[in-house]
Formats: sequence, C-alpha cells, structure tokens
Amino acid sequence: MDQTKQEEEYGYDLFPERNSPKYKKGSFAENLFTFNHKCQIMLQVATDTSPYAKLLLSAMKSSGCKIFKDRHFSCEDCDGTVSGGFDAASSQIVLCQNNIHQQSHMTRVVTHELIHAFDHCRAHVDWFNNYRHLACSEIRAANLSGDCSFSNEVARLNFGLKEHHQECVRGRALRSILAVRKISRVEAEKIVDEVFDTCFNDHAPFGRIPHSNKDAKFANREYESRDRYYANL
Amino acid sequence: MDQSGAVPWRPPRVCDDYWSEFRHCKSLWNRFHHYYTHGTSPSCKQWKVDYRNCSEWEKHKTIEAKEALQASERCRVAEQRKFPPVWNLRKDPPRDWNLPLNQGKPQD
Repeated sequence: MDQTKQEEEYGYDLFPERNSPKYKKGSFAENLFTFNHKCQIMLQVATDTSPYAKLLLSAMKSSGCKIFKDRHFSCEDCDGTVSGGFDAASSQIVLCQNNIHQQSHMTRVVTHELIHAFDHCRAHVDWFNNYRHLACSEIRAANLSGDCSFSNEVARLNFGLKEHHQECVRGRALRSILAVRKISRVEAEKIVDEVFDTCFNDHAPFGRIPHSNKDAKFANREYESRDRYYANL
Repeated sequence: MDQSGAVPWRPPRVCDDYWSEFRHCKSLWNRFHHYYTHGTSPSCKQWKVDYRNCSEWEKHKTIEAKEALQASERCRVAEQRKFPPVWNLRKDPPRDWNLPLNQGKPQD
C-alpha cells in the first residue's frame, strides 16, 4: 500500500514525527529548554496528581496493560491544532508538545488518550477499519475526560445548559473522526448517532461521568473497593 | 456446607460511602452538572435508603436490610449494562502492548 495514502487515510499526517527515523535522543540543552521538557514535566504532574489519570492507570494495569511512561507516552511536535492521539500500531499515546501549554490542558489530553488506550486494552477495537468502534471510543473520551465540562465549553464560547454536555460530546466526537478519517460529515454524523446511546452510557472504568476531581476521587474509591463490591452483590 | 472457608457477608460498600454519595448527590454542584448532562434533577433518595439499610445491617444484622441493599446495588449494576456493547471484549491484553518500539509486529 502506498505509504503516503495510508498516512493520510489514518490521520498519521497530523503526527509527522511518527514516521521519521526517531527515538534519537536530543542534546541535553535541547531536552532541558524546549517544549519537550515542559511536556515531560506536565505529563508527570498529570499522572501523579490527577484522579482521572490515576484511575485509568490502575484500570489499565488490572487489565494487563501496565503503562510505562517512557514506552507508552511520546511528546512530539504535531501539525495544526491537534493536542494528542493514540497510536494503536505502536501502543503509544502521543502528546503534542507544541500545542499543549497549560497543565489543565495536559491533564485533560492525558485522560482523553488514556481512555482510548483503555478501550484498546480491554476490547477488540478495530481502529482502522470500523468507524463505529472509532466513534464509540471518541464519544467515551469526550464524555469522560472533562473535555465537555461546563467551564471548558464556556471558555470555547459555547454557551449551553440543558443537556449541553451531550451536544458537546457529539460535536467533539464528530470533529475527532473527521480529523483522522476521510469520510463525509453526513456519514460521520450517522455513525455517531448509531452508537451514541450505547457509548455515552458506557462509563468504564469510572462507573459514572466524572464532572470534577471530586467525582473522579469517588470513582477511584469505588474502583479500589470493587473486589468487596462484587463479592457481596 | 463447609463453614471454615466461608467469608461472612458484608455490605458492598462501607456504610459511610453511601452517606457521602448521598450528600454529594444532593450538592448544588452535582445537581447543576446533572442538569447540564441529562436535563433533569438527580434522584438521590436511593443512596439515603441504602445508607439506612447498611446501618441497619451493621447494627442488627436484619435480613431484609441486607436483601434490600443487594437488590439496590444489583439494580445499579444492571443500569450500567443496559446497552449491548459496540465491540467484543478481549480475554487477554493486546500481545504487542509491551513490544519494544521499532520492532516489527508479529504476523497474525
């Protein structure tokens, strides 16, 4: 298959560093004073302090996919305004160091991509050929990561209240699919509609839609006691 | 029945957890976000009922309290599993999860 065509079809053109002869270590100065260093630090803070990230990391470990930062995360320069991605072919989460500049944004992107990684770990997700699978994971990631929180939507000047969260999840899932796959908007909307009810209500591993760190901490508490919970049902 | 290995039943959650879930459910923050997500007010009563049943069991080991609590939690689990999944769940994690980078994937 023509590699350029494959890159464009699967969205790899947004992540140009994925195909370069990579894993060359930069110079000490390069690593210390560049976006790469800042990205690494923010990633560490996110995984150490965010209850969203901590729950996902635990759940992945329990599912047999323990995350090793050096292996499963990669800070890279990306095209456009994309913030991150999950590369199923290499089992890596890509963080766009040139587009993430605030800790809160990093935490949200890490959570979002960990949800994709979690789905990859626990299910046979056909990322490349099954648009329903892709749509489902994007709906879940937009729903559960805080992407569509009231404050984030207001910051984007999207003012809505009653059930606006669902509208946001639909919209962001649609955008994510259109960014990485060459299908029409109408087709993408149809696919999102087909899987929306199932995927919007799939809250694994949180057990609820976490709207705040407090929700995520409650979800963590529930997750850590799951053995007792299921043994006494 | 072999009693030596039997683990005595205890409520699925610590009783205080039911109370804190109830308080969290009733909070203005949660009620706002529930409306923002679902367009309705949350129903919090069941957490309080569960807390009462949990406390009743802890104090008096009442069978009705135990059964009511189990029924309530099973209902919660059923709610989470209402829709048929879009994908098939794995029995094992992906084989290439920890393969070193720049190594060819095994042929399926």
